[in-house]
Amino acid sequence: MSGWAWAPRWSGRTSLPDTEFKLAPVETERGRVALVTIDNGEDYTKPTFFGRAALESLERLLPALEDGDWAALVLTGKPFVFAAGADITRFPNATRELAVEGSRAGHELFSRLRGLPFPTVAAINGACLGGGVEIALHCDARTISTAVRHFACPECFLGIFPAWGGTQLIPRLVGAETAVKFVVANPMRQNRMLGGPEAFELGFADRLLEPAEFVDESIAFALDLPDRAQRPPEDAAEILRKARNRLDDQVRGAAPAPYVALDLIEGALTGWSLQEGYAAEEAAVGELLPGPQAQASLYAFDLVERRAKSAPGRPDAEPRPIRKVGLVGAGLMAAQLATLFLRRLEVPVALRDVSEEALASARETIEEALAEQVAKGRYDEGKARFLASLVSTSTGYDDFADCDLVLEAVFEEVEVKQQVFREVREHVRKDCVLATNTSSLSVEEIGADVGIHFFNPVAVLPLVELVRTPQTDDETLATAWAFAERLRKRPVLVADAPAFVVNRVLTRLMIVVLEALEHGTDPDEADDAILRLGLPMAPSVLLQMVGPRVANHVLETLHAAYPERFPLSETLANYADGRDEIAVEADERRSQDELLETALEALADEIRLLLEEGVVAEAKDVDTALLLGAGWPFWLGGITKHLDQVGISERMFGRPLAEVDAGAKA
Amino acid sequence: MRELREVFYVDGVRTAFGRAGPKGVFWRTRADDMGVKVVRELLSRNPSLPPERIDDVVMAATAQVGDQGLTLGRDVALLAGLPQSVPGFAVDRMCAGALTAVTCGAGEIAMGAADVVLAGGIEHMGRHPMGEDVDFNPRFVAERLVDTSAVTMGATAENLHDRLPQLTKEAADAYAMRSQQRAAAAWQNGVMHETVVPMSVFTDDGWRVADRDEFLRPETSMDALAALPTPFRPGGRVTAGNSAGLTDGATVALLASEDALGEHGLEPRMRLVAYAFAGVEPELMGLGPVPATRTALERAGLTLDEIGLFELNEPFAVQVLSWCDGLGVDPEDERLNPYGGAIACGHPLAATGVRLLAQLAYGFRERPQARYGLTALCVGMGMGAALVWENLAAGH
Repeated sequence: MSGWAWAPRWSGRTSLPDTEFKLAPVETERGRVALVTIDNGEDYTKPTFFGRAALESLERLLPALEDGDWAALVLTGKPFVFAAGADITRFPNATRELAVEGSRAGHELFSRLRGLPFPTVAAINGACLGGGVEIALHCDARTISTAVRHFACPECFLGIFPAWGGTQLIPRLVGAETAVKFVVANPMRQNRMLGGPEAFELGFADRLLEPAEFVDESIAFALDLPDRAQRPPEDAAEILRKARNRLDDQVRGAAPAPYVALDLIEGALTGWSLQEGYAAEEAAVGELLPGPQAQASLYAFDLVERRAKSAPGRPDAEPRPIRKVGLVGAGLMAAQLATLFLRRLEVPVALRDVSEEALASARETIEEALAEQVAKGRYDEGKARFLASLVSTSTGYDDFADCDLVLEAVFEEVEVKQQVFREVREHVRKDCVLATNTSSLSVEEIGADVGIHFFNPVAVLPLVELVRTPQTDDETLATAWAFAERLRKRPVLVADAPAFVVNRVLTRLMIVVLEALEHGTDPDEADDAILRLGLPMAPSVLLQMVGPRVANHVLETLHAAYPERFPLSETLANYADGRDEIAVEADERRSQDELLETALEALADEIRLLLEEGVVAEAKDVDTALLLGAGWPFWLGGITKHLDQVGISERMFGRPLAEVDAGAKA
Repeated sequence: MRELREVFYVDGVRTAFGRAGPKGVFWRTRADDMGVKVVRELLSRNPSLPPERIDDVVMAATAQVGDQGLTLGRDVALLAGLPQSVPGFAVDRMCAGALTAVTCGAGEIAMGAADVVLAGGIEHMGRHPMGEDVDFNPRFVAERLVDTSAVTMGATAENLHDRLPQLTKEAADAYAMRSQQRAAAAWQNGVMHETVVPMSVFTDDGWRVADRDEFLRPETSMDALAALPTPFRPGGRVTAGNSAGLTDGATVALLASEDALGEHGLEPRMRLVAYAFAGVEPELMGLGPVPATRTALERAGLTLDEIGLFELNEPFAVQVLSWCDGLGVDPEDERLNPYGGAIACGHPLAATGVRLLAQLAYGFRERPQARYGLTALCVGMGMGAALVWENLAAGH
């Protein structure tokens, strides 16, 4: 389960409603139970966060608990939400003092909760993230609802770590292996989250309860709390060593937070008192939160979770409904696209290719993908059969007459694509949207109304570049936008410029690497130099994934437009022809430092030009595209945040990329 | 000829009854969730009954819209986690909804169409005020089919005072005060503990536990009652003090055939002897239980003297007085509403019937000498309902 599903509501820069701890006494035969609700007076679309107001509310509540005659405490949340963690809207530009103070305030209050002289139970009824997990761990025991879908400590995903006692209490409760997975590995795996049953299995909760009577049964459990045996000490050295190795492979030291989290977990398991652990958390968060990686991560998080959803650039026009889609071309990507359309839209898809064989193979791919969904339990076989029946295949365009949108996905040749659009226009209604999935060619020249550029693998990467040409009207763009959103993609609006954004930036980076190779740099060394940024894959691996032929094709397009910055590469041409041969020009090996510096400068230069040409509206669009379309890491903030942070932009053109006005040159 | 099968009442529970409206404890709680709570409680109190052996779930609601609108019995069954194989349906006979659910279930059992039935009712009058979404046929007025006062229950109660001048406001107030006093005492003994299930509910103040009716006023005095305004008529007799408040609540009972009792090891508390529904003038709907009681007794072959316990609804004190008047029962009779009534606990229309059953069953156990008992209700638009039960704790 990924964090994306939850996080939309988790962000929100506008001021959050104050969270309160509300106490209701419950008289039972076994005494008075303090039933405390974490609530902000809003429905589940506005989760509860712990900001200053929440901590003050808890501070006001604690004396009533400490001084009262209570049989037990049950701490729970408003419907569907236990607590969604710290209020991160206060984190950007946080100082060390603020970070330390925030951590200490939580430690002080939560440890008073922990010190209450009667049984305390956290009743985890809904989303429980970060600080929510930590306050729950300061109770004696926990119940969790089977309906909980978001139980996680996502802090490392944001460049920090659970600093309200999480790194100390989690390993003490569930042991090293689970703690490492929960605090470090899951957040670093696209912010994976646990469901209630899984959290219970792993030992985070003492009882797994059904939602219908969850609070009632949690109260009963608190009145009957069993004694729990202490977890025996374990030798965690090997587990932590392996965890550090895995982290090295994944982030190459580029992101400090997960390493710090591992150190803190190790401390917790090697004799620190809780107070020592708290102190270590406070010191460490004071370092990390104001640091570049955490700040870049917060920036990136805001981009993909809030800004991308606000759909900057989407026209106000009413989108037209999509009740049938045509797809021209039946290659591998087209088959993936057809599957996506079926799964998300559940509308008829007309598939057209000149080759019967390609059509048959596409149908097979689609049916296999649907069978996979059945195997995963997402649908039953009847539904899969129905969806498969929505696909029609033909070597002609007869099925296209009633299509509302046609996407062209044939190979990247202008003339072929032009031919396709000439033919399609003869067969479709006038209001049918004609779109191309081209990765680099001019949408206008091809003859399409709009570009909808998907990224490979289609099912995984959330980005689409929506390409607007001077001819694209608002209604067409709005329709394409709504289409992409129904496919659960995040559109970034781009102008009809060669290779748009992601491919242009990646190609510019590839040129630097290829040139280094052609000057005698060892390919592994070149990979390692770039990987020091912590990118998800080495340049050579990326090239193989994209395919050298496609990459070379993109380069040719860019070369035609910008010959100086995008020289043709003999080496890439060799790769494209299937020859693994580097065309060495000279023996001028670059050091890793030099190579990385050159790469960053090239990226900064290209992004500035993109902005000046007005290909996108602002640097944030470039970053959003790289985060969602290339999987670049949060701690680089896409890339422009990093380029600005390390001073490259300033050095090269006197100001940060964040301040470059789009279209300034035009 | 086929033989009719006997129908037994095994158990019944209710939520606490809350004040309808934003100040009530259930204001932010869904009606169907209240039904889920009582169904789950009933099942957990009777663990020997396999849930898949429930043959039907009958749920009454007067306002069958919104969170009471989705074929309530089926909706609640699914939400309560009953197996998908267990069917359910919804009924409406306004205030006699739950009693009608019980007689529907009883009919299924007697016919051999079911062995175990859950029957109850839900009414969230805060979310669904009376008359919500009702479109009265203009013929009612044009053809004078009913008096316009028939649609306002308080006005029908004023009509009872008009019709039966011997039933004074003072008598009504005295009855209301006694109801409050008896209810206060009942909360001290076991009846409420046994029949009311505490439910945690989310409110503006966070989670709370609804475990007490919100209409209890043990301190009520005749002076205080005399001073209350009469909202239905200037100078009238019906006040907030001598009538039941608008209420949110849910109830459910477990009914079983004799075979099912043995098979599942269920302990029967009452046997259904006979029942009757009757119609009267809509503007005098409070009189409905008089003919219903007479008919039910006749069908049971019993006389009023043989009835040891009466659980009557109390929408208005004057309504109970009119029943007493019609049948010749002393309003102060100890057999009548020994635990107080709706004036003190509330009247969530279609849910009330099973409260009467549950309290009758409790009362039977406390009074083994009472062999038979009666549960009765008046119904809007001029009806009455009466069910006669045999006390199985009496050892006859």
